[in-house]
Amino acid sequence: MRFMVIVKSTPEAEKEGALPDPELMLEMGKYNEELSKAGVLLALDGLHPSSKGARVKFSGKNRTVIDGPFTEAKELIAGFSILQVNSLEEAIEWVKRAPNCNPAGDSEVEIRQVFEMEDFAPILSEEQIQHKVAKRAELPNQTANK
Amino acid sequence: MRFMVIVKATPESEKEGALPDAQGLLEMGKFNEELIRAGIVLAMDGLHPSSKGARVKFSGNSRTVIDGPFTEAKELIAGFWLWQVKSLEEAIEWVKRCPNPHASDSEIEIRQVFEMEDFAPILSEEQIQHKVAKRAQLPNQTANQ
Repeated sequence: MRFMVIVKSTPEAEKEGALPDPELMLEMGKYNEELSKAGVLLALDGLHPSSKGARVKFSGKNRTVIDGPFTEAKELIAGFSILQVNSLEEAIEWVKRAPNCNPAGDSEVEIRQVFEMEDFAPILSEEQIQHKVAKRAELPNQTANK
Repeated sequence: MRFMVIVKATPESEKEGALPDAQGLLEMGKFNEELIRAGIVLAMDGLHPSSKGARVKFSGNSRTVIDGPFTEAKELIAGFWLWQVKSLEEAIEWVKRCPNPHASDSEIEIRQVFEMEDFAPILSEEQIQHKVAKRAQLPNQTANQ
């Protein structure tokens, strides 16, 4: 099963031009190497603060663009990884072993199960599912359930 | 430059056992094929509702696990892409052409992805190259092209 591990943002991470604490980065790097050696880590990335981003609101055919930054850190993510594990419980156990992303305070990580194309069997035909699987397989860096 | 293009959740996408609307899925599939033809998409995935997930709160050395579901759809994501484009403006233009990802009003957030070189102010060149090498070993890591 694949899970997306989402690191929620904090006001500190959101500061304009914010870079992670170098010591935390190296600690996190060691933890990531553990995940990698265990064969569970498929991909990972960090995100620049929302001041370098934007939002697009969809309403019917309307599209409204709003430039960052955005104020509610609880609604923002700072980074993510994709894990291949046997269960949500296993994903939780790995996440509990991660360093605290906000060593001086509190932080939060959310774990979410990733859809496999086969999950759409109730609404798509086998042919449509295989088409989607094939299309995804062409992507340079698509993570796929093993 | 790489961007993460994040589809925010809605109360409907969060319903227990929710699957996307089949018609919506196929329309989005056509848009994805355009993006793929343009050489933009590095990766993409949808997420099951948060009822199948959990959160872990970190406070100092303590870890507290909270099972889903979570109530604030505005704090939740339903799916994402990773794109390779030249600028935020280009990413925005593509997002505006996306079909509405949900049946109701919805929102997509576009965020720039850190490259290891961005850490030059805080890491040595050697440390940066180490990180680049480690990432290159991951089965599905997207890399700036």
